[in-house]
Amino acid sequence: MIDSSRYPALGKLLDGQLSIFPEHQSYLERRFADADQAHLELADQISDLITRIAHDHLDEIFEDYKWLTGVFVEEEVYFRRNGTYRLSSFEDAERTVYVDPVYMRKYMNGLLASEVWWHNHTNAIGFYKETFLDCLPGSSRHLEVGPGHGLLLYLATQTERCKSLTAWDVSAASLTNTREALSAMGVERDVKLEQYNIYDAPDGEFDSIVFSEVLEHLEQPLEALHVLRKLLTQDGRLYVHAPVNSPAPDHLYLFRTPEEVVSMVEEAGFDVVETRFYPILGVPLERARAFDLGISTLVVATPSEGA
Amino acid sequence: MNRIGILAQLEGLIRDLFDEYQGPVTEDLSAHDVEQWDSLGNVQFVVLIEKTMDVRFSTEEMASLSNLGELMTLIERKKSL
Ligand SMILES: C[S@@+](CC[C@H](N)C(=O)[O-])C[C@H]1O[C@@H](n2cnc3c(N)ncnc32)[C@H](O)[C@@H]1O
Repeated sequence: MIDSSRYPALGKLLDGQLSIFPEHQSYLERRFADADQAHLELADQISDLITRIAHDHLDEIFEDYKWLTGVFVEEEVYFRRNGTYRLSSFEDAERTVYVDPVYMRKYMNGLLASEVWWHNHTNAIGFYKETFLDCLPGSSRHLEVGPGHGLLLYLATQTERCKSLTAWDVSAASLTNTREALSAMGVERDVKLEQYNIYDAPDGEFDSIVFSEVLEHLEQPLEALHVLRKLLTQDGRLYVHAPVNSPAPDHLYLFRTPEEVVSMVEEAGFDVVETRFYPILGVPLERARAFDLGISTLVVATPSEGA
Repeated sequence: MNRIGILAQLEGLIRDLFDEYQGPVTEDLSAHDVEQWDSLGNVQFVVLIEKTMDVRFSTEEMASLSNLGELMTLIERKKSL
């Protein structure tokens, strides 16, 4: 499927995933069929990170990814039949997902594997590294809200540009996963992990804020962006990743187009610096739009003057 | 509706949804033959069938179909109940 001598971490991960989920063979063949060298190199790097985060439970990650694909199909069926996400209240998402450590662990494990098995997620990590992390001013006070499996936060710990590191999550179970991931990666820097709902955030001041795959989990996403706006310094940078038309067990707010995400960020008092729209399964953007398919929408923004 | 009628309807949906596929649409056609017919494409396809033909499939049924012929038999069975 790929040249394992050139991309050894990816090759090993593929072998492991397919031994547990052989039905995924034809999907994964298509997934990597047209990938160019740069994409394969990125996928190989992410595979190496996943292998290290997983530490001694890689098979569990493969199992949980398999489970999650089934969960997503169920959600997709609901979404296509009804044109809406299944849940609409935070209480429901909290009760069924966030407070359940077993569910949360499986979910975050599955999502971690999706970072390399899903075209759009791999591209999002590439964008996050190149266009966000590598462009941060030195000595940034860095905040991530909703770090989950910890991959993005780990990458932030690896850059000198982040002087201090803080992460908030509403779910204690999720924070446990993040903590374990950082410790498995041997991170020795001080990273403050605190349990907060974004709407009850304490006062603070940050130069970089990451909000990846959280906006669609909220009932009032615009208000959350206002909170982040207050926390961000005037020349600070915000990274938002929000998927469009992407049903999941805890997604509440349905963005129907990438432009809806971008204009909400602007409405909250930000100027957009960069955007990328990566459709699910690597399908062309026009097709994704025509058939209301999932599109990972990435935005880097900075506070508007005077806002 | 007879099998020929069902096949014609399914062909219409397939040509629409999987618009890059140029080959013949026969009872032997399966997801494997059509590049755009992936797991999510399958859900879209089956839900479109539900809406246009007024039938309902379980998730197990959606996942277990191996070709159009089987799908047609299932639709016939559901329609005759
Ligand atoms: C899908 S995970 C995102 C993981 C990771 N950031 C990524 O990009 O893959 C969503 C995270 O947001 C957290 N979350 C959901 N609602 C929140 C809220 N109101 N305040 C803070 N965190 C929240 C969840 O607990 C979960 O850890």
